[in-house]
Amino acid sequence: MMLQPDLVQFMAVGGGQAHNSNKEEEFSEATEQQEEMRRRQTEEGNPFIFSPQLLRLHRDHELFEDGDILRHMYLQDLFISEAEEQPTTSVSEFACHISGCRVVFSTLDEYEHHYNSLHRHVCCSCRRSLPSAHLLDIHLQEWHDSLFIILAQKQDMYLCLVEGCGQKFRTSQERKDHLIRVHKYPPDFRFDKNRKEKGTRDTRREQRTDTAMEAADDVSRSEGVCEVMCSVQSNQHEQEESMEAHASSEEAARIEDNSASAQTLETSTEALKLKYSYRVPKTVCFGQGSVRGFRGQRGRRK
Amino acid sequence: MWRLNKVRHKAGGHANTLEELRLRRREKERALRQARRDRQLVSKRLILNEDEEQDLMEITPGEQDVVSLFHALQHSGTDKEAYLRTLSKALRNPSAQLIFIKLENSMHLLVGLLTGSDARCRLQAVRCLHELSHSPHTSMASACLPATPYLLTYLSGQSTKFTELCLYTLGNICPDSEVVKERLLAQGIIPALASCIQNRTHNLAVVEAAGFTLFQLLQTKDAVQKVIPMVLASSLPSQLLSVLTPDPEFGLAPAIECAWCLHSLTSSAVDHRELLAQGALTQCSSLLVSLGGAVVDGNTDQGVELLVCPLLRCVGNLLSSCPVEALSSQLGDVHLVAALCELVFAFLHTFPALARETAWVLNNLTAHSTELCSALLTFNLAPRLMELLPFSQGINTMILRVLANVAHKKKEFCIRLAELGLLSALAATLKMANQDMVTLSLEVLFMMIVSSPQIAEQFVRQGGLSVLEAIQYNNEGEVRRRATHLLEQHILT
Repeated sequence: MMLQPDLVQFMAVGGGQAHNSNKEEEFSEATEQQEEMRRRQTEEGNPFIFSPQLLRLHRDHELFEDGDILRHMYLQDLFISEAEEQPTTSVSEFACHISGCRVVFSTLDEYEHHYNSLHRHVCCSCRRSLPSAHLLDIHLQEWHDSLFIILAQKQDMYLCLVEGCGQKFRTSQERKDHLIRVHKYPPDFRFDKNRKEKGTRDTRREQRTDTAMEAADDVSRSEGVCEVMCSVQSNQHEQEESMEAHASSEEAARIEDNSASAQTLETSTEALKLKYSYRVPKTVCFGQGSVRGFRGQRGRRK
Repeated sequence: MWRLNKVRHKAGGHANTLEELRLRRREKERALRQARRDRQLVSKRLILNEDEEQDLMEITPGEQDVVSLFHALQHSGTDKEAYLRTLSKALRNPSAQLIFIKLENSMHLLVGLLTGSDARCRLQAVRCLHELSHSPHTSMASACLPATPYLLTYLSGQSTKFTELCLYTLGNICPDSEVVKERLLAQGIIPALASCIQNRTHNLAVVEAAGFTLFQLLQTKDAVQKVIPMVLASSLPSQLLSVLTPDPEFGLAPAIECAWCLHSLTSSAVDHRELLAQGALTQCSSLLVSLGGAVVDGNTDQGVELLVCPLLRCVGNLLSSCPVEALSSQLGDVHLVAALCELVFAFLHTFPALARETAWVLNNLTAHSTELCSALLTFNLAPRLMELLPFSQGINTMILRVLANVAHKKKEFCIRLAELGLLSALAATLKMANQDMVTLSLEVLFMMIVSSPQIAEQFVRQGGLSVLEAIQYNNEGEVRRRATHLLEQHILT
């Protein structure tokens, strides 16, 4: 019921409500910290603006509505003291920050699971999200390193996908056979797909109406190791694919079921396709911390 | 005179079942909310006869009776009181009311009986006027104008019941018409109300009625320009303050009315100096401390929220005018901050709107006072406040503001807050769907991080980097800028 933006607006503008405009007075108590804050706030490019504010609320302010209703219900003989008809308290939801990913969660755990499953280990180049650092490494090497192809002609470069195995193979097929024979992996293991040439990458744009299976198949038809397309366009040099969001508008409750069945893909019966084009600083790529922010870029400005 | 324990009784008379009662209440609530949005929120009160209070299903006489009663009154000699009694019951009916005032000389007759030598007739006449005043038709107010100088005169009389009826009648009609209000002001309603409260402190029913009438006067249009200056210039403010502490026997009702008057004054008036000088902040805040303690203990009368609410608002708005140097003398007791904190919890699930208002007061308390922020930490209230951060609808944003106020004061406070777990709390609030919470969380995080390098390290250790990185992909540009600035300028350097 409370319009929070309204309240912040009131505070920011300094009493923007109608009727008597009540100017907010700010009294300054110059403690050392506050002097420092003020100094920082005038620094170049510092976007932080908070300072404590006295809030004077006019009698018609929205914040007072419920209390006024209580008062008038009392005057009209309709007051009830018990919580019988009272509104229940509500709890804030959590939401994935990644623009275009619209999922909301009722618990932190769900948020963490979502983020860790779908938005980590992301390749800076093609925005794909891999399930683990190991697979991301392999992806970067095999998909985005031009040196790889050259080296692969002379030596075993295809690393086994199982962490800790460490074996290398001359071709991806040999690796696949190894995975099946030694590690008992299924032949259609999702995270072992071949990379196709650039330019034929996933170009599907139309609405998908069913589950992740189809999406995965589509990816597998075109490309290799990765799965979910992450919805962020990181910089203007990204030209191969337009940024689509496999954003899901599902309810948080369904995440549990879906992630069980579809490994790490989001599922949605009405996947939204959003395009947007804001820029994100080129120097940062999300994934496993900014320390690895340049993974896959190898000094090449992207 | 109003007693909360009679409320259910009255309401029960009209509705047949509990479900009907609920339905009626919900409809009424909707209507009230709409009226408030239209800036037309006004209520009236009706006093019932003692004998009536038992049985509200009494069938009121029809419209035709009003006319014949009027004729009877004009011509009869000795039975006037009986006819008046019947008339007052008949006038409960809204269409009967309209018919009555259209009869020629009807008001003249009533006024004559109101001012005549027969005391019992006077009482019945004022009952008739009272019924008219409670009418949903706003034309009634002007129709009652001839009676007003007498009603005001009688306020200084001695008959309690009579005075009450006069007061509620006046209170009912003044918001209905500008003309009536102007007339009443000119006729001296404000000094009359002041002496009512002053001289009748032993008679709390009259005080309650006077408080109600003043409240009605303060709800009128242009009250700020026309009514409030007069009220502030009179002795009313100090009278109101003197009634605030509830009488244990009589109950909360007079204090409730006076507190709502004070709220109307503090929330409309721009200049609070007079009220501050009279100790309004001191009185309201100490009463809040004692009431707050009782609420938390579960040791209160039914309906104490009706008193706590206006007190909170008075304190909140008075604080916004009180220079911080004067705060300690005005407040007297830093325990207010602890009392308020507990009050938020007490109201959290019963009256969340009041929890929100309490949080607002906490903001105003802590905004500029290092002393109070320090008290908040000393009384170990910060962890308590952090427990409130999950609750939405305006509660968590306000509470986070309070914590931000504390962090803003001193590096040492930031360090203490970090020790108490604020960084973990922020790790959660940074992930909330509400963008205001995210923005404010970033602001607090900034203050914490710049106050000590250890805090930055702690934040990173707790896995904060990934949240900030994710935030760099947020929809809102302002949010992204803040996250980036924090990462680039303060954490990764």
